Amino acid sequence: MGPFDELTGELDHLIQTLISQTIVGNDVIGLTQFHLYFFLAIIILCIVAFTAAKKTSLVPKGRFVNMVESVFEYLRANVVDSVLGPEGRKHAPFLITLFFFILINNYLGNIPGSKPGTGGIGFNFALATISFIYFVVAGVKAHGALGYVVSLAPSGLALPIRILVWAIEVFSTLLRIFTLAFRLFANLFAGHIVLGAFSILASLFFIPLIQSFTINNLVGALPSLGWMLILIFIWTLEIVVSTVQALVFTLLSAVYIKLAEQAH
Amino acid sequence: MSVFGYGIAVVGASIAIGLAAFAAATSTARQPEVRGNLFQIFILAAAFTEALGLIGFVLALIKG
Repeated sequence: MGPFDELTGELDHLIQTLISQTIVGNDVIGLTQFHLYFFLAIIILCIVAFTAAKKTSLVPKGRFVNMVESVFEYLRANVVDSVLGPEGRKHAPFLITLFFFILINNYLGNIPGSKPGTGGIGFNFALATISFIYFVVAGVKAHGALGYVVSLAPSGLALPIRILVWAIEVFSTLLRIFTLAFRLFANLFAGHIVLGAFSILASLFFIPLIQSFTINNLVGALPSLGWMLILIFIWTLEIVVSTVQALVFTLLSAVYIKLAEQAH
Repeated sequence: MSVFGYGIAVVGASIAIGLAAFAAATSTARQPEVRGNLFQIFILAAAFTEALGLIGFVLALIKG
């Protein structure tokens, strides 16, 4: 039986470990394997935020404070100011907290052996729902409750078509929860399965060499090196993907806030 | 079978991301000063299209 035949079974096992499974409690109220990393991310976020905030001065001092502040300023310039404009700065705390939280969660998942807090679909739905409630509230604040509901459809259309467009807009607005959550989940889930597949391949080719050291097994273990190289490359790619997905989530939330606030 | 389905599905997503990258690269070459804005537009467009491909990927894995 060659290494490739064992791959299917190992992959099934890998997928099972990446799908949310209840460890403590029941399916309604309980903790899954992702919750540990999720609470860890909250603690790290608090430490990062409070350490950076404690040392604030007009001229940022120290590497850590400078690092956090440069990320903050990049986001404020490229997400908040460029999408929402200068008057949208009141949304900056929410958006940038969202970014840092997702970023820390994603990066935790890149440490070998740990899982990302954002790898569970339920957690991402919670984040997306928070973002959804936030932009609906922003829209209601800008137009009033009735005004926001009406402003979903563009004005200047004949009434029957306007009702039709309104229905489509309501549907697509509700769909945003799903797309926001699923984009983050799918990226992390897919990335970790690819990472896992290559590490399984690397180990499967190497196992015969550990069991008995012969020339034949040594040659057979050579592909392992190639798999390792691909694994390292994909790992680097995953770190980029983690950052980009946090940015995308924040950017999309900003765009949705903008859409809710501006009149059609 | 679902893996073949994913292969077909990803063609659309890859064409879309390719078009977005092509447009972003061409526009940056023509007008390098709007690079920051273009990057943002490209990331957004890529995120929207990439999500479709990834949904296919996850479905292919879950359905076996």
